[in-house]
Order: sequence, then structure tokens, then C-alpha cells
Amino acid sequence: MRRKLKDLVARRFMLLATFFSSILVFLIVAGLLQRSSLILLTKPISELILSSTWRPLAGEFGFYPFIIGTFWVTAIAMALAIPICVLATVYLVEYAPSRLRELMKPLVDLLAGIPSVVFGVCGVLAIVPLVKKLALLFGIATTGYSVFAGGIVLAVMVFPIIISVSHEVLRSVPNEVREASLSLGATKWQTVKHVVMRIAFPGVVAAVILGFSRALGETMAVLMVVGNVPKVPLSVFDPGYPLPALIANSYGEMMSIPLYDSALLLAALMLLVVVFVSNVLARMMVSRIGVMMHR
Amino acid sequence: MADERKMATKQRLALLLATIIMLGLVVSYSSGSLAGYLSGGTQNENENSESNFEGNIKISGAWALYPMMVKWAEEYQKIHPGVRIDISAGGAGKGMTDALGGLVDIGMVSREIYPSEIERGAVWVACIKDAVVPTANANNPIVDKLVKTGVTKEIFEDIWVVENATTWGQIVGTDAKDKINVYTRSDSCGASETWAKYLGNYKQEDLNGVGVYGDPGIAEAVRNDPLGIGYNNLNYAYDSNTEKPVDGLVVIPLDVNGNGEVDADEDFYSTKSELVDAIISNAYPSPPARELNLVTKEKFSGATKEFVKWILTDGQQYGLETGYIQLSQERLNDGLAKLG
Repeated sequence: MRRKLKDLVARRFMLLATFFSSILVFLIVAGLLQRSSLILLTKPISELILSSTWRPLAGEFGFYPFIIGTFWVTAIAMALAIPICVLATVYLVEYAPSRLRELMKPLVDLLAGIPSVVFGVCGVLAIVPLVKKLALLFGIATTGYSVFAGGIVLAVMVFPIIISVSHEVLRSVPNEVREASLSLGATKWQTVKHVVMRIAFPGVVAAVILGFSRALGETMAVLMVVGNVPKVPLSVFDPGYPLPALIANSYGEMMSIPLYDSALLLAALMLLVVVFVSNVLARMMVSRIGVMMHR
Repeated sequence: MADERKMATKQRLALLLATIIMLGLVVSYSSGSLAGYLSGGTQNENENSESNFEGNIKISGAWALYPMMVKWAEEYQKIHPGVRIDISAGGAGKGMTDALGGLVDIGMVSREIYPSEIERGAVWVACIKDAVVPTANANNPIVDKLVKTGVTKEIFEDIWVVENATTWGQIVGTDAKDKINVYTRSDSCGASETWAKYLGNYKQEDLNGVGVYGDPGIAEAVRNDPLGIGYNNLNYAYDSNTEKPVDGLVVIPLDVNGNGEVDADEDFYSTKSELVDAIISNAYPSPPARELNLVTKEKFSGATKEFVKWILTDGQQYGLETGYIQLSQERLNDGLAKLG
């Protein structure tokens, strides 16, 4: 009797905990919607998204430069990270001797534990001067604070996510498949390219999407190197201003005028929606690979 | 058999009762502290004199006030070991938002208080003075000329706001074609507001240039860029040990009378104490010299009130050694009257 009661109580408690943690997302969305409704009601959404003038105290809220800035930084980061991560993972899973793998994998995971402000400081001290020199090679005079610098810092930050998720995916490809391919006379590379990657592809895409949503929301490290100029960047060496940086920088202006407050929370809502959508996409991809393997 | 069943039922009841009591405790405890958190009260409310020298004081805000506040907290905790003071920097805007949101007891705000903030219940006292100074890189190609001619307010305006001065040659009137790399602060802060106000009643959002986070950040950016120009709070432009400008930086002299030359009475930038004297005598204009404020929501009370009172009296003596300028007795009395 007592055992059953214990079980029941424990079960109810756990249900409560689960319920609480899963309802938080909805509370946040509702809160953001409610607070940003002010600006959504006063300004047409097309103006908010397409205008490039950001002068909040004059009542002009154009998010265009910030949306484009977010896009640039994230795109550069993904362009740098995807090839490196995929190749590194393939090496770790398919080629590396197990001792090397056991040594390298924790090192990569360690990257994930470094606080983002540390990446930011390293970015200011190392990446910004590097980008400045690089731009000089192209004959462009810049300060080094640019979307490119932001992209590089972000790329390093998403390495561990993409590598560890795709590592798991590649390892879940059954060994029999590899053996079958090899026994037909395929080389290792042919096996990887035509067999392993083909099966694992949706999973690797999911890993990339997870890295993408991390890149999209990263704030501090990017904010410190990206230049924070609310203009649309015209080249990779121009400064940009991503949405998360806008929120962090202008947090202190929230008390100045009500519309400002509302605009910043709208920015937060936009970020949340994009991250939400990409997470759903990643989940769908992962469940697809599950189905494929059990066929 | 029947006895056993009775026992089981009793045990069950007891267990249920215990659970209910525990739940009740947890809920009442957490709702109590939650309510305290929401109402913004972190100091205890009773006004008896003993507890006013005990408790936690949370402070956040302006980088400009940060070194001073660290010194004050250190000295105050020596006298009153029962008081714990937590200080974090993050710009004047953060200080204001945190104070009005009830997250901290004192917000450090290095600019004027806006009417919209007063409407939301901001109450403040001025506590000390400092200044914002324009800075350039020590290896700037025209640095020698720059410190001889100084720069007028109008030219600074052309650099940061109008954006029609784009080469260093334009600043000192030569044909040097080196591009000016203009830096500004990205976080909402008092230094930017004060600098913008000096340039002609502008706001931070009117200042153009690459936005860098924090006072140390903009100093670092200019230090690494021979063609950079920026502005810093006094205590981030000068090294507190050597009294000289931070290694790699020069402070650009203001050409106040606009005669294209740094006259003897405009030349006070070589050490921090010289500049401090110039601020006291108003030879360095205001703005960019400015008063720094402590802000709270509604009213200062309890341990916080005692601490602020101490800052306005005994605390003032630590100003000069830390690189700040004491307020006049008149301004201090205004502040004390406001505290009540």
C-alpha cells in the first residue's frame, strides 16, 4: 500500500515538474506578444521590417539593417563551420584510430563549455586585428570590427554543436552497411560518400540546423566584435548589427519611451520565432533518419 | 487483519498530511520571497538604526562610476562589516533600467535623468563629478600636430554627427589623407549622452561610428588603431597608477577658444590630476564634464539610504585619490535634503 502511494506521489510531482518546464515557452511567447503589441499596432509591419532607418527617439523603428546583419553574420559563420565540421566528423568517425578519437572528441566538447564573453575577448584581441590585415590585402581600409569578424567567432562557437550531433548520427549508421559496401570492392571514401553520408544526411542537416539556431541567438561574443552600426553591410568587411546585439546594447533604453521597449521585445519575438522554426525543422529531420534506419 | 488495514490507512493519512504541510511550506516560502522580489525590496524595511548598517546593497550601472563605487564600497564595509555591497557595471542605461525594475537598490547613472524616467519613479542624487575626454592613438601619423592645435567642438561635430570630416588632414588643416576611424559606444551609456550633448544637444543615437561595447572596449579599440578616434570616461583614459594617459592613447586637447592652438590655459592633459584641477576650475568645459548620479525607485531607504548619506559626507574625501571631483558643499546639501 505504502509503496503504491509513494509511487503515486512521485509520479504526480514529476508530472508537475514536466508541465511547468514545458509551459514556459508558451508563457514567454505570450509575454513577448503582449509587450510588443504596442508597436505592432502603431506601425505597419511592412515598415518595421523593410525600413532601414533606426532612430527610436525620433519614432523611427526600421529593423531591416538588423535582420540583414543577423543574416550576414550567421551565413558567414555557417559557411565557415559546415565544411570544417562535416569533414572533421567524418574523419573522427570513419578514419581516426579510436585512441585519437577519444582524445580529440573531449577537446571539441570543451569548446562548448567556454563562456561566450571569453570568445568575445579573444575575438577583440585576435580576430579583429586579423580581419583588418586581411582586408588590407584586398585593398580595403577597415577597422576590423565587421560581420566577417563576427562570423569567424560564431563559427568557432558552433563547432562543438555541429560536430557532436553529427558524430552521434554517423556512429548510429549500422556497421553492416559499411561492411556490405566494402565487401563489394568500394574504397573507404566511396563507402563514406555513397553509403554512410547518404544514410546520415538528414541527421547531419539537423546538426547544421541546431548549430544555425545557436549562431542566430548568440549575443555577447558577436556584439563585442561586429561593430554595431545600424546600416546594411555592403561587404563582409563592413560592420553590422545583429538582432541579439541590438537587444543587449539597448536594454538600458527600455525605460526611455514605451515604443522603444515594445520594439526591443518585438526583436526578441522575431528571434524566438526563427529559432523555433529551425528547431522544428531539425526535429523533423532527426525523426526522418530514425524512420530510415528502422526500415 | 483489520488492525493491519487500520494501521495502513493511518500511515497513509499521516503521509498525506505531511505532504500537504510540506507543500504549503514550500509555496508560502517561495511566494513570500517572490513577492519580495517583485516589489523590488531587497533591503529590510524596518527603520531601526541597528539594522540600517546590516544587509545587502545591490548596485549596477555606469562604467564611469564603477571604480569610484568599488572604492566607496571597500571603505564603507570597513566601517560597517555587516553590510554587503554587490556592484556590477554595464552602462548608465542598464543602471537606470535595473533600478526602476527593482533589480538593484542603486543604479549608477552618468547622465541627466530624463522626464520619462522621473515619471516612472526615478529618484536620484548627484554624488561626484568626472568628465568625458576625446582620445586618439599614440601612434597617430599627425599626433604631434594634434596635441599642439587641439580640436574645436565644431570639428568633433563634423566627425561624429555630420560626417563630413573624414580624413585626419581635415582635423588639423593639412592634406594628410589618412581616413579617420570613428568609434562610439554600442551600449546605452552616459559617456555617449554627455559627448553627444557637448557636440550640440544630440543624443547617443545621433553619434556615428563603429559601436564598441563598454568603456574598456572603446579604449582598447583606439589603442589598437593608429587612425582611430574615440571618447572615454576620465578614469579609463588615464592610468590610475602612473597618472598619465593609458599606454598607447593620447587625450586630444579641446580647443575651447577656437584659435587653432592649445594655449597655456588650455594645456592640462599630461596627467590626470592636472585635468582634474582644470575640471574644478571649469577650464575644462561642462559638458563634457558632468555630474554622476545615484538612482533608485521611489526613495532611498534602510541600509541603502545610510550608504548614500555616507557617500555624500565622509565618502567625498575618497574622490580625488580615485580620480574624481568632489561636489560643491551646496550640491551635497541639496542631495542630503533630497534623501531626507
